[in-house]
Amino acid sequence: MRDSRRPRIVLAVLVLISITMILLDLRGGASGPLGPLRALGATVIGPLERATASFVIPVRTYVQSVAGVGDKDRIIAELTAENDNLRAELDTVANDKARIADLEELLGLIDVNEYVTVPGQIIAVGPAQGFAWTVTVDAGSRDGVEPDMSVISGKGLVGRVISVSPSTATVLLLVDATSTVGGRLAGTSQIGIVSGTGRQDALQMQLLDPLAVVDVGETIVTFGSEGDRPYAPGIPIGTVKELRGTEGQLTRSAIVEPYVDVSVLDIVGIVLRAPDRPDRTPITPGSTSTQGSP
Amino acid sequence: MTLRRVVLCAILIVLAVVVEVTVLAPLDFPGATPSLVLVTVAALAFAFGPVTGSACGFAAGLLIDLAPPATGTLGISALILTVVGYALGRVFDSDSRPLVVTTLLTAAAAALAILAGAVLGGLLGNPRIVWGDVPVMILTGALYAAILSLPLVPLVRRIARTFVPEAFPR
Repeated sequence: MRDSRRPRIVLAVLVLISITMILLDLRGGASGPLGPLRALGATVIGPLERATASFVIPVRTYVQSVAGVGDKDRIIAELTAENDNLRAELDTVANDKARIADLEELLGLIDVNEYVTVPGQIIAVGPAQGFAWTVTVDAGSRDGVEPDMSVISGKGLVGRVISVSPSTATVLLLVDATSTVGGRLAGTSQIGIVSGTGRQDALQMQLLDPLAVVDVGETIVTFGSEGDRPYAPGIPIGTVKELRGTEGQLTRSAIVEPYVDVSVLDIVGIVLRAPDRPDRTPITPGSTSTQGSP
Repeated sequence: MTLRRVVLCAILIVLAVVVEVTVLAPLDFPGATPSLVLVTVAALAFAFGPVTGSACGFAAGLLIDLAPPATGTLGISALILTVVGYALGRVFDSDSRPLVVTTLLTAAAAALAILAGAVLGGLLGNPRIVWGDVPVMILTGALYAAILSLPLVPLVRRIARTFVPEAFPR
């Protein structure tokens, strides 16, 4: 017959340790007494996740493609139609392009494709019941990744890096409830704050100007942070799906559909630095061409 | 606790944690992510009893809280899974327990674990909890846990008998 009190003692001790850790972690966060433990955990488990992912990802891709096979015909039809439309539009584009290039040079604007990025494959995702929209990518401090860098994909903004280990980085996705980004309406340059809702198909944008004229379907891009951290400027975020509140009301908000679908993320780019922004040249009335700084 | 038992539990737990975040979570199942870790803890608790069960639960919970991309409060999963491992370990004479009992107990534990995680998170000021989604998470989580436990509980018991025979005196 075993000592019947031993299980209860073990339980009590482990519960106490857990509660102590919770309290310590709530006090300190990343810089607190448990920070080193977190860093150690990421350093040790990160490579294990990388190793598993290296042979799991081909299988995962296959399963996802099988699951999406019904959509394929529809997508092909849509793309064909879109292609025809685009070809028709293309004829007028060459002329516009030349004008845009001139204007962009004049204003010192930058091209999103010029961002210097490190590619990262998503290797791990947090369990849904944790309600945190975070993912792990297989690029870390060894690849030059640092906290507070923007993460983008071909479609637009994905999120930002919140922590790094030598070989992995953790990315907070846009749709996470704790994520906020400064956003700008591409058409009107109205600004607002775009926050995650915890749901993967919707963001909320709080408009700063209550009188702003906003239309459904307008594109929202990042406003940009100082030093491009955590968000570099001009990255597409999503489109306005729905407007809440009427014009003039103190708090007006818009529901924004993000461009990036977090459920099918695969490879992302971590922005090491935004393209060099040329110094803005003064435009003097009457001048036909722009000059460098005197 | 013998060395062989510790090694077996450690291997299974690490495997479960890594597979859950790299394989199951990215597949984006409807509702909750199938909690392979909880089912593994349950299976080990059924096989080895409450002491090993609570120790495995603690270790597994700590690993979940530490494994990237975890951002939640460190210790919450450890606390919940410690209790799960202990409670399910009380059903130690599981050789006489039919599979239906272990399956239902695992499903109930999964449901309670998700509820406890949301409530504890809410109490501790986690701004992320979407309360409207919690009922769906609980139902799907319990279902996935039941499905996973059907093969895993007997499998872990068999591995345990082969690898750590001294824990099962005849």
